[in-house]
Amino acid sequence: MTLLLAICVACVLSVSVYLMLGRELKEVAMGVFLFSHAAHLGIIAMSGQPVAQVAAGAAGLQTPPVLGAGAAPPVDPLPQALILTSIVISFAVTAYLLSLLVVTYRRTASLWIDDLAREDRPAQPRHAAGEPDKEAA
Amino acid sequence: MELIDQSGLGRMAVAVFAPAALGALTLAMPRRWVLPRVGFAALGMLAALLALLSAFAGGVGAGTGIALAPTLGLSVTFNPDALGAFFGMLVSGIGFLIVIYARGYFGPDAASLFRFYPTLGLFATAMMGLVLTDDLIGMLIFWELTSLSSFLLIGWDRDNPRAVRLALQALATTGLGGMALLGGLVALGLSTGSWTFAGVNAALASGEAGIAGPIFVLALVLVFLGGATKSAQWPFHYWLPGAMAAPTPVSAYLHSATMVKAGVYLFARLYPGLSAVSWWGPLLVIVGAATMLWAAHVALRSHELKRIFAYTTVSQLGLLTCAYGLGSWSHHDEANLVWPVAQILNHALYKAPLFMMAGAIMHVTGRKLLPDLRGLARSHALYAAVLLVAAYAMAGGPLTLSFIAKEAFLYQTTHAAKESAWIWAVAIAAVLTAAFNVAIFVRILTTFLARAAVETEHAPERGLWGAALWVPAALLVSLQLVGGLATGVLGEVLRPVETHALYFERLPSLLDAITHPSLPLAMSGAAIALGVAIGLSPLWRRAWEDPHNRLFPAADRALERLGWLSLSRLQHGNFRVYAALCFAALLFGIAGAVFYRPELASLPRIASLSEAGFAASAAAVITTVLICASALMMPFVRSRVNRVLMLGATGMAVTMMYLLYQAPDLVLTQLMFELIAIMLFLLVLRMLPEEPKNVAHGGRLGRAVIGGAVGLVIGFLVLHVAETPDFKPGIRLGDWFLTHSYDGLADTDGRGGGGLNVVNVILVDHRGYDTLGEVTVLGITALAVLSLIGSAPARKLRALVSRGLGGVPEQFHPDDPRSVNIGPQPTLHSSLFTIAMRLILPLALIFAGYVFFKGHNAPGGGFIAGLTASVALAVFRMAAGPDALKKLIPIKPAPMAAIGLAVALASAVWPLAIGDAFMRSYHDIVELPGGGSYHWASVMLFDFGVLTVVVAVSVGIINRLTEEIET
Repeated sequence: MTLLLAICVACVLSVSVYLMLGRELKEVAMGVFLFSHAAHLGIIAMSGQPVAQVAAGAAGLQTPPVLGAGAAPPVDPLPQALILTSIVISFAVTAYLLSLLVVTYRRTASLWIDDLAREDRPAQPRHAAGEPDKEAA
Repeated sequence: MELIDQSGLGRMAVAVFAPAALGALTLAMPRRWVLPRVGFAALGMLAALLALLSAFAGGVGAGTGIALAPTLGLSVTFNPDALGAFFGMLVSGIGFLIVIYARGYFGPDAASLFRFYPTLGLFATAMMGLVLTDDLIGMLIFWELTSLSSFLLIGWDRDNPRAVRLALQALATTGLGGMALLGGLVALGLSTGSWTFAGVNAALASGEAGIAGPIFVLALVLVFLGGATKSAQWPFHYWLPGAMAAPTPVSAYLHSATMVKAGVYLFARLYPGLSAVSWWGPLLVIVGAATMLWAAHVALRSHELKRIFAYTTVSQLGLLTCAYGLGSWSHHDEANLVWPVAQILNHALYKAPLFMMAGAIMHVTGRKLLPDLRGLARSHALYAAVLLVAAYAMAGGPLTLSFIAKEAFLYQTTHAAKESAWIWAVAIAAVLTAAFNVAIFVRILTTFLARAAVETEHAPERGLWGAALWVPAALLVSLQLVGGLATGVLGEVLRPVETHALYFERLPSLLDAITHPSLPLAMSGAAIALGVAIGLSPLWRRAWEDPHNRLFPAADRALERLGWLSLSRLQHGNFRVYAALCFAALLFGIAGAVFYRPELASLPRIASLSEAGFAASAAAVITTVLICASALMMPFVRSRVNRVLMLGATGMAVTMMYLLYQAPDLVLTQLMFELIAIMLFLLVLRMLPEEPKNVAHGGRLGRAVIGGAVGLVIGFLVLHVAETPDFKPGIRLGDWFLTHSYDGLADTDGRGGGGLNVVNVILVDHRGYDTLGEVTVLGITALAVLSLIGSAPARKLRALVSRGLGGVPEQFHPDDPRSVNIGPQPTLHSSLFTIAMRLILPLALIFAGYVFFKGHNAPGGGFIAGLTASVALAVFRMAAGPDALKKLIPIKPAPMAAIGLAVALASAVWPLAIGDAFMRSYHDIVELPGGGSYHWASVMLFDFGVLTVVVAVSVGIINRLTEEIET
């Protein structure tokens, strides 16, 4: 099943990066959202296969990490706790990102990244060292 | 800290710090006072001189000072040995005269003097510290202080951009040299293990320090660079003529007599050790001789008086460097140095007067070019006379100390040339340099004595201060004549500070030279003859610029161009470029890792799919297909609403995957969170404009390539890491949490988390601190969103006001923030929705409560309960309007989030009040009235705080966004 997870991570991450390189800020926001999904899938892959050898010859899934839930050994609880924290944080990030989008649009009347970039270009510096010093005439 | 030698410390402290201290005191005086200022500044210099004399005569030993870190060998020590004492007396003595001269030069202009004396005092202290300190790091600090104060003094005329530019040039050059010196001295200190000059010299001379090879060569080259930049050796000499933008007292003090000698001082200080290095001597000789000759040549071709003297200073510094290089050719095991201190003193004794008189002449006549001063001797005889005597000393004419010093140098050269034939070139260079100096003197003489007159533009002050313009110079120049006529006397005075005498037991006089004819005497004679010839000839009469002046501006411009190129290439201001660069760097980094560990690229063992049984594996395959399909379809969907819904579909499919991986808490959380997130997306989409239909599809292939590459690489890495055979059960951290979730084991004294839901116990108990931070982040985000998207009533008011001023369009457009609809508010009303929500909301809230209370022992918990309640409340708000929500929850979102945070924090902190640990949890089982039991834990209070924050944040944000849409 880890192979399947890896395939999921690959697909979701590809689409996420594709969107993050998009031309409009809305696409970028969606790309960031998908990125967290890919990351969560990656983390849950670290808990290994949720497979347990219950009895000789028979295989079954492990039990969820609630003590006393069943005879099979429970899965690793730590990645799940970490993902839960991450879900909440990505909620906060998404909310903030979306409100930034709204404010950007209100300020600049455009969400196209190339338009926004034109406002941001650095200015060419002037030369501080000047000309070679000559004798005062 | 311990004092090493207390008796001498007081005197040494006065010697070093008196000028700066008394100069700083003049800052406290009222601006109008002039005489007290001069008095204090002069007193500072005098006190330093007398303290130093007393310490030197009293035999204050080496290592007087404060030990800062004895085990590391770091201390601040002052060592008034011969070399240091000589330089110190030079600095403070000439400093005293300069203070007097400055009063004459600036006139009673209190505004200039107010700034000048403290800065001059700072420089004098820095210089005294430089020459008197014994340890490497201390000297470096004073070295940099001299660069800094020189910068302040060169850029004295702060409103003159040329002066500021030249000050920056000097600072950059000497500053870079200072950094090189830092590297070199630190390397020397580390390799010899000693942080004092005495120790370094001993280690180098004995050759036992085990330093050899490229690091050592680099260290010495760096030290050389430090000294060469400070002493204006070729090719770094360009900064010194530029420093002539400073007022003349500064030029006379820093850039002739004292600061520029710091490099020579460094070479002299390290001489005992470095003379043992075979290539050090030739390096100094070559660079010094090249500097000497080139600068003298440029001096001859310059017209501005200060510039001429600047270049001759460079030339003389080259000569002194060359002299210390020649010392390596030893004569019967004695260093080939002939009275070097006398040579250094000689230069100061004629150069400072030259500058002082140039400044006096400029002050009085307003002219600075030599051709403009034709006939100065007729109109200003006194000034011309002093300058001519000083110039005669510069030329090294007989009966001056300079003649003797020149002879000494020529003696060194000829002696070394007998051993290495190539030094004859140096000897010839010396003769030429001397000839050029004579030529300069001849030209000044003929100019001053011409039949013309120079008008006085600005008469000098009457009385004593008028004399301050020339008396200090006359004093110094008279010492030159004393040295020439009564050489023996001067020799005896110098003997305590002289470091090497070779076999000249006393300083030879002119009489000695004439009665013992030798090759150096012949060379002197030839130089004088050649110099007179060149001086009178029409050769090189026109002004000429040194091409080296272009070095610094060209280097500076090249650096700026380089910086601009990289800035404009890398900093587009375009987010897509940055993102692409980041991902490219990620790929590059992973490629590098694979390069170093090729086993990363191998295919890992993939567990067989059927291990989990057919049902589970089928479900997994279906879930994978759903996830990938919904994700991959997103770029191809046109309508933006549909795209957001595909986003939600991906999230739901991921939830299914969590279910397969036996994570019920995650399932619940992700489900609720996905609902709220999609709601947020749709609300925000409502506020943003539609995309135009026909958009150029540029760059899609590139994006797909990068996206595909990143996805594939990371997916492969995930596979690799998850299937690593090192994953043995029993050593994973998760197992510790499983065993300690309810009852603890011996390592926690039997106390566990008191809950059966391991994930929940981890979140609120074992890793509760994380969760505390997490809800704080939530609260901050809510605050940010609420401030960014301003409240609608306030905007309505503003819009009303501006409409009153005629600035609001009549038509209502939902995306135009200026337009306002004062009429009936459109809401997301539909009566079906409203009625349904009135039934569903209480059920949802009860369900949320249920999930909350069972959370500690079954899947559930504060987050999930909060999110469930939020979804219900959000839909209720969208259906029933803001007033209904206010009736249900009377508290505003921000205070509610604050209350939740406070509750969470309190529940974490209250165990401290009863003497227990932070975030300690207590649990017990209570019997419920209707039968059955309930297992409670005190961390549920913490969970409740979390729930409150989650509800407040989500409902608050959705409420605000909905408000924005409705207005």
